[in-house]
Amino acid sequence: MFELHKISLKYRKQTVLKDVSLTIRQGESVALVGPSGAGKSTLLKHLRSLQAAKVAWCPQHAGLVPMLSAYHNMYMGGLSRHSALYNLANLLRPLAIPKAELQTLAQSLALDAELYSRVDELSGGQQQRVAIGRALYQQQAIFIGDEPVSAVDAIQADKMLSLISQRHQTIVLALHDTEQALRVCQRIIGLKDGAIAFDLPSAQVTAEQLAALYQA
Amino acid sequence: MRLLTVLTALLVSSSISLSALAETFSFTAIPDQDESRLQERFGKVAAYLEKELGVKVKYVPVKSYAAAVTAFRNNQVQLAWFGGLSGVQARELVSGSEAIAQGYEDQFFVTYLIANKRSGLSKSNDFPADIANKTFTFGAKGSTSGRLMPEFYIREHFKKSPEQVFTRVGFSDDHSRTIALVQSGAYELGAVNYKVWEDELAAGIIDPSQVSVIWQTPSYPDYQWSIRGDVDARWGAGFKAKVKQTLLNISDAEILAAFPRQSFVEATNDDYQPIKDTAIAIGLMDAE
Amino acid sequence: MNVKTRPHNNTRLKLSLWLALTGFIALLFADIDIHRASPSQELLRMGQGLMAPNFWSYREIASSAFNTLAFALQGMALASAAGFVLALLYRHPLVRGFCAFIRAIHELFWALIFIQLFGLSPLTGLLAIAIPYAGTLAKIYGELFEETEAAPRNNLLQSAGLSAFFYTTLPLAWRPLLQYTSYRFECAIRSSIVLGFVGLPTLGYHLETALGNGQYNDAAALLYVLLAIVLSLRWWLKKALLPGYLIAALIYLPPTAHFSWANIARFLSEDIIPAPLRNKTNTDYVAVFDWLAMLWQQQILPGVTSTLILSQIALLLTAILSLAWFPLNSRQFFSPLKRSLGDGFLIIARTLPEYLLAFIGLLLLGPSMLPAILALGIHNGAIIAHLLGRYSGELVLREDACTGINRYSYEILPRVYRQFLAFLLYRWEVIMRETAILGMLGIGTLGFYIDSAFEEFRFDRAMLLILCAAILNIIADILARTLRQRLHLRPSPETL
Repeated sequence: MFELHKISLKYRKQTVLKDVSLTIRQGESVALVGPSGAGKSTLLKHLRSLQAAKVAWCPQHAGLVPMLSAYHNMYMGGLSRHSALYNLANLLRPLAIPKAELQTLAQSLALDAELYSRVDELSGGQQQRVAIGRALYQQQAIFIGDEPVSAVDAIQADKMLSLISQRHQTIVLALHDTEQALRVCQRIIGLKDGAIAFDLPSAQVTAEQLAALYQA
Repeated sequence: MRLLTVLTALLVSSSISLSALAETFSFTAIPDQDESRLQERFGKVAAYLEKELGVKVKYVPVKSYAAAVTAFRNNQVQLAWFGGLSGVQARELVSGSEAIAQGYEDQFFVTYLIANKRSGLSKSNDFPADIANKTFTFGAKGSTSGRLMPEFYIREHFKKSPEQVFTRVGFSDDHSRTIALVQSGAYELGAVNYKVWEDELAAGIIDPSQVSVIWQTPSYPDYQWSIRGDVDARWGAGFKAKVKQTLLNISDAEILAAFPRQSFVEATNDDYQPIKDTAIAIGLMDAE
Repeated sequence: MNVKTRPHNNTRLKLSLWLALTGFIALLFADIDIHRASPSQELLRMGQGLMAPNFWSYREIASSAFNTLAFALQGMALASAAGFVLALLYRHPLVRGFCAFIRAIHELFWALIFIQLFGLSPLTGLLAIAIPYAGTLAKIYGELFEETEAAPRNNLLQSAGLSAFFYTTLPLAWRPLLQYTSYRFECAIRSSIVLGFVGLPTLGYHLETALGNGQYNDAAALLYVLLAIVLSLRWWLKKALLPGYLIAALIYLPPTAHFSWANIARFLSEDIIPAPLRNKTNTDYVAVFDWLAMLWQQQILPGVTSTLILSQIALLLTAILSLAWFPLNSRQFFSPLKRSLGDGFLIIARTLPEYLLAFIGLLLLGPSMLPAILALGIHNGAIIAHLLGRYSGELVLREDACTGINRYSYEILPRVYRQFLAFLLYRWEVIMRETAILGMLGIGTLGFYIDSAFEEFRFDRAMLLILCAAILNIIADILARTLRQRLHLRPSPETL
């Protein structure tokens, strides 16, 4: 699925990842953990760019269109499945089929009451769930998420993450909550100082390894 | 050359009239005086023509000499009361068009040079050489009496362009305004259509203590009615001749006084060859 | 922001000194005498006219007001649609260049050209407004699209294309786009009025007649109607009503024309061909060169020179007036009541088109550059002062800040100066464009020679001269943009 061989990545002209090698196979669920600045986001962006047309993408900052409704922001995930004319008609007035689909999706995201509100009127957590909805509605086999549930409370976060797991074959997530990472993903990659500190199945990751990751 | 059919005949003038149909015979006139006088004059002419010709007749007012020629060219009007120069220009642009009638006085028209009393100039029979280095206003840029002829005599006498002869040269746009500008002292000198001068003098608009005539040009042919060549095709054979006769027949003292002319007489394109030659001589038209 | 690239106060000072210096040098070469024996007397008569407007003498007031609005509405409808499509392609340098060219030609010049093709018809008025406005709107729309946040678009699958534009870029740019379009509508009404001066049946047509004939009571009535239309815009210009207005405008004044294909063919294939090339089988290069040299020497050079002189002085006056006037609309200096009076003056001054102000100035002061300088300075100064006043009102000063002239010079002026320069540079190209046009009133800028060429039916010369005016405007446009970038100035596009 993804194969990196001794690759270096830059962010704003500064090298953040050096000589990283990595293979992610179909069907895996992988969590990237590590302190901020370790290069998680940069790595995720790179992974996305390798398969841009096949990846459902959920960024750290929601990047919604504030003046449009949650409905339209989520619908954007499906733009490329329809003709421009169909999309334009749906922009003016929600069409029956996507309306039914997105109402179901909104229910599972606990957004059914806010579906037709402008997203700039929603709370941070709600906005993040809209961004998840948009990614889910892209209906791809691979999901890449950069802290997709950082603004959502703990109980809902688990729900969201299991929803994401159900609907995608392959998942790559950056998570700051290591417990959460261990619960959701089968494989954990620890990043520190621009390199991979460890790459293990969840069951084999020790508390010391995790603690070492966050020590200065 | 036959002009192609007109796509639509909705005319736009100062007021939009939806009733103007293709059959309406329209005419215009160069705006040589202030507009209220033009409306008065040509309103009467329109009513007279409509009665005599038996077709709907409309007067289309325009803002400039060039606009009158353009309206004639675009078939927005079929008949026009042009000055000598604008008539020549219009007939160059519309082949087949011809001059059909002129005022009796237009056969020997003259221009007055007028001066504000502060200029210290007085009337003379010879060309007044002491007008040099003063400020001077013509009428409209396309006027025969207000620009073409006076510029010709100025160039002939000084062998220089007006811009070189005078300290400042302006274009007032019409004869009424030329008189007002010289009377107020905005310009020391001006060139004006003698008919407008005498008309306004009689009407008491001019203050003779402020402004007076200092010289008059030799005579030349001026205003005329010009008509497009394709009117017979639209209003039937003989229409052009009928319009011409109707104009020559004007005897209503009120209409004549509004121009003011004592009568209308026949005119031909050839009568205006001297005007064309003059225009070419001073570089207002290109020689062919 | 990187400290190294931030412009020094020094650069701003240098620019200010340059503007002042060129303005004063231009003043040495300018003709600014008063050639009227008694301007005060004429002013008195105008004042009396304003006190006693005559709403009854013109049956046409209503019809010309409706015509004014119809031209503006139709022109803006076409311009915003065309501008929108062009903005989608605005990344393409050819499209950019095309837009710069069509907006560099003033609507009055477009009108003079279209009068030759379509007569004094509604189509002429519609196109004269729509074409240059489409160029301006394309530029602004294109820039607004480019400035939208990229994140929402980047989060989508790349194959979304045009749909992604409608779901992300357009909604993000929508509000400023509407704001600018409605500001531009106000400009279109002004343009529509000015088109009356060349014979289209708008308010300007009757204003020119009434003012020219000294019928100041009639002129006052027309002026009040003009002000009422523009100042009431915010109450009746509603999005929901626009389609209705547009249909009404199309029914009231259908965009028809009075033209023949033969005339258009002749205009394009004969009239605009340089005279020495016309009806010739073999090209006589010497004659063409002589023709160009003659035009260069007698018309282009003097026309361009006086356009530059006049516009630099007008720019200087604009700068002085806007700095002197902006406190009138500033919370920092006046109470709300006094401020509304002050801003009322500024709004009226910016509502009257500079062409109209110059026309009135010529009646009062006689023929020279002075009326044009005053007209440009007052109109543009009022625009900048209004915006700058509002901007300065948003500044928060400390509780014990000084008052009066000290507050002006120590607290406010240094804080607004950057914004002031940005506004001024934006107006520069506008002033250049208008300066060329004012020649049509008899002042020796390019417009004078262009008007003469049309009066003499020498369309070859007219086209060449219009091209020169367009090039001048494009240079000013590029220069102003470069300066703005170098000084890191970015005002709202409202001032364009």
